[in-house]
Amino acid sequence: MSKVVGIDLGTTNSLVAYVEDGAPVVIRDEGGDALVPSVVSVAEDGTVRVGREAERRLLTDAQRTAYSIKRFMGKGREDVQHEAEHFPFRVAGEAGGVVRIGLGAREYTPPEISAFVLRELKRRAEAFFAGRGEIDSEVDRAVITVPAYFNDAQRTATRDAGRIAGLEVLRIINEPTAASLAYGLDKRHTGLIAVYDLGGGTFDISILRVEDGVFQVLSTNGDTHLGGDDIDVLLMDTVLGDRPRSAEDVQGVRRAVIQAKWDLSDRDETTLNGQRFTRAAFEAIIAPIVERTIGPVRQALADAGLEPSQIDEVVLVGGSTRIPLVRRRVGEIFGKTPHSELNPDEVVALGAAVQADILVTGNREMLLLDVTPLSLGIETIGGVVSKIIMRNSTIPASGSEMFTTAVDNQTAVDIHVLQGERELVADNRSLARFKLRGIPPMPAGMARVQVQFQIDANGILSVTARELRTDVEQAIEVKPSYGLTDEEVERMLLDSFEHAEADFEARLLIEARNEAESVIQATDKSLRHPEFAAIEKEELAPGERQKIESVAAGLRMVLNSKDRETIQKWTHALNDATQHLAEVIMNRTVKAALSGKSVDDV
Amino acid sequence: MSSSTTATLQVCRECGAGAPLDAHFCAQCEKILPLGRHADYFAFLGLPRKLQIDAADLERRFRDLSRRFHPDYFYNAAAAERRASLERSSYLNDAYRTLKQPASRIDYLLQLEGFGAKGPAGTSERDAFSRASVPPALLEEVFALNEELDEIREARAGGAPASEWKPRLERARVPIEAKRADHESDLRDLSARWDAAVERGAPDAERRRILDALRERVLERNYISNLLATIQRELDAA
Repeated sequence: MSKVVGIDLGTTNSLVAYVEDGAPVVIRDEGGDALVPSVVSVAEDGTVRVGREAERRLLTDAQRTAYSIKRFMGKGREDVQHEAEHFPFRVAGEAGGVVRIGLGAREYTPPEISAFVLRELKRRAEAFFAGRGEIDSEVDRAVITVPAYFNDAQRTATRDAGRIAGLEVLRIINEPTAASLAYGLDKRHTGLIAVYDLGGGTFDISILRVEDGVFQVLSTNGDTHLGGDDIDVLLMDTVLGDRPRSAEDVQGVRRAVIQAKWDLSDRDETTLNGQRFTRAAFEAIIAPIVERTIGPVRQALADAGLEPSQIDEVVLVGGSTRIPLVRRRVGEIFGKTPHSELNPDEVVALGAAVQADILVTGNREMLLLDVTPLSLGIETIGGVVSKIIMRNSTIPASGSEMFTTAVDNQTAVDIHVLQGERELVADNRSLARFKLRGIPPMPAGMARVQVQFQIDANGILSVTARELRTDVEQAIEVKPSYGLTDEEVERMLLDSFEHAEADFEARLLIEARNEAESVIQATDKSLRHPEFAAIEKEELAPGERQKIESVAAGLRMVLNSKDRETIQKWTHALNDATQHLAEVIMNRTVKAALSGKSVDDV
Repeated sequence: MSSSTTATLQVCRECGAGAPLDAHFCAQCEKILPLGRHADYFAFLGLPRKLQIDAADLERRFRDLSRRFHPDYFYNAAAAERRASLERSSYLNDAYRTLKQPASRIDYLLQLEGFGAKGPAGTSERDAFSRASVPPALLEEVFALNEELDEIREARAGGAPASEWKPRLERARVPIEAKRADHESDLRDLSARWDAAVERGAPDAERRRILDALRERVLERNYISNLLATIQRELDAA
């Protein structure tokens, strides 16, 4: 049987897990690393790199490298205008249309970029299963997680990404709920749980009641634009002056502030920009961001009809909850120490794997009952929204609205569907517009068209309509406001097959050669570094350069052979031999960037 | 179980066997039944049409039924069964949400019994009551409040300080809040009377009298809530 996995498609990192003998396990690479950075780099020759390798290219080829793409999922061009400047890649797309990310000559939609990350996870899982000698190691189905506060367009974009990557998306589930599933495994507890999930780009708070293995979400709230990225941007602003810098330098600074942020989770001080940087100073800078999470927490508690003291357990999820200030604030609000036994980076993927297992095995020990985070409504006269399904309704949920005609013999009605809590259409998120056609001609006000809105267990909307006098089902064409049509998704899927299919082994050989070539190029570049003579004298061990040169020569000799394993062996050897040199150069680059000098000036 | 529901039957599309209206699965072929158009929330949850509901019992029924037909458990089933599972789960969630709160529970019962305080559920007529004319029993309070509000607005327009008119608004709120508390208590009493009438199989005329009284109280209670919201808006506008 082909395999089923759970995937946490994160803003910063992504990972994949599966269930073995009833317990969820994260899949790691040979080095024991579970995280695949959600970074995609497209080289000039069209080679696509994903993960750590792509992340390294942020320092050498930033404009062709995309990160934090989750922030763009389901967004329109106008939504992201103000923050496009923070990113090295080109943010494009037609006015009023979907965002597109320009990497080199080509433009990609956010689901296509995310699909590269998903395909990498799929490949990693397949290699893992094949390595264990499984007969059918294909991974073709997955549960993928999204922030609980994602709207319909963002959920649909995530599902599209899965389809483009060649995965059947069994279910889209919410990250905090997935985390609670993973936590609920070892302890069969009953009670009220708050899940506080602060990740790289998004914040969620969910309040759940757990009883008899039913995980029932009572309320959820959040901000899909609040996370570790915002902390990084604040810190970068304090380091970067107004002086223009290359995209690569900016990325060097970004790397340095992220390192400082990590340092301060375990220590009271570190250095940033060559200066002492204390945890107190760090907390003063990030306090406004942490405070922005408090409003949603209070709203979620109010919606659940609970006081903070009634919550039995608080669970922390997401890398940003490692920050001591975050832990302290959450502890203060609920008056109890939050749980953090499980790795906050891995817990969501574990829960997704559990849900995937429930779906394919029909295991009824546990059941997740989630809610829709935002109210669903339609536009009525005067630009006012009439709500049809209220926020925090358990899904699946349905609602209906009766429409009639305004003039005699009118045969169509325009309907505008929105999501959000505000009164006016302009303040809510437009999901779709559609035309209700085929209404039988009759005097004005006589037709009674019942439009049924159905939110499924993924939190995704579908619409059907019926004219009650004639009992005729109406045709509905939904045009998503910020999404891809089914045809577009199909075409992207076919494109990806054309690039991916062919002979599997041949593809692996090509990839091995590409990898080898890129390592050789990187090595040559390091050896030709303008400061190399100084570096060798000051920082390299005796004979280190000679060893690098001889391994590089060895790899060049086997490069054109058809023996993939030998090529890989030599590639790894060269990677190992140059690792120290690469670190030395990286440190110098970061230092130069911080001191305000471009590397090229050195 | 109320006698009005047992006569109706639904038919299993899988094997053609008949099933009681409140059955979720076919007794003959065990397949999940499609959701008919004649279900009601009480029958669906296996509850009598009563207004006093034990919260823990409702929660348990909700969880048990969720476990029986949630779409998670029909992932590999035939399309018709998946559709039935989606419809039944949606309906269950609506039923649970509606019956959980006493206010929406009374609204629903009134609508079910043809005494709707609102238009049919899910239609745009449902907000009609909020624009309705003043319930006769509240005329006196509404008249007094409007007069007071007019004076306060005038004073405010004339530059009177908040310390002067704010306490007046707060005072105006007191009798209306007392009125609301009376209504809530009336609604609880009427709910208990309804349940007793259902239990002993009281004649239709008696039931109708109770429903009429419930309907009147609900309309007044809603009107009172709007009055309180108006006062709050005046306070917030400060």
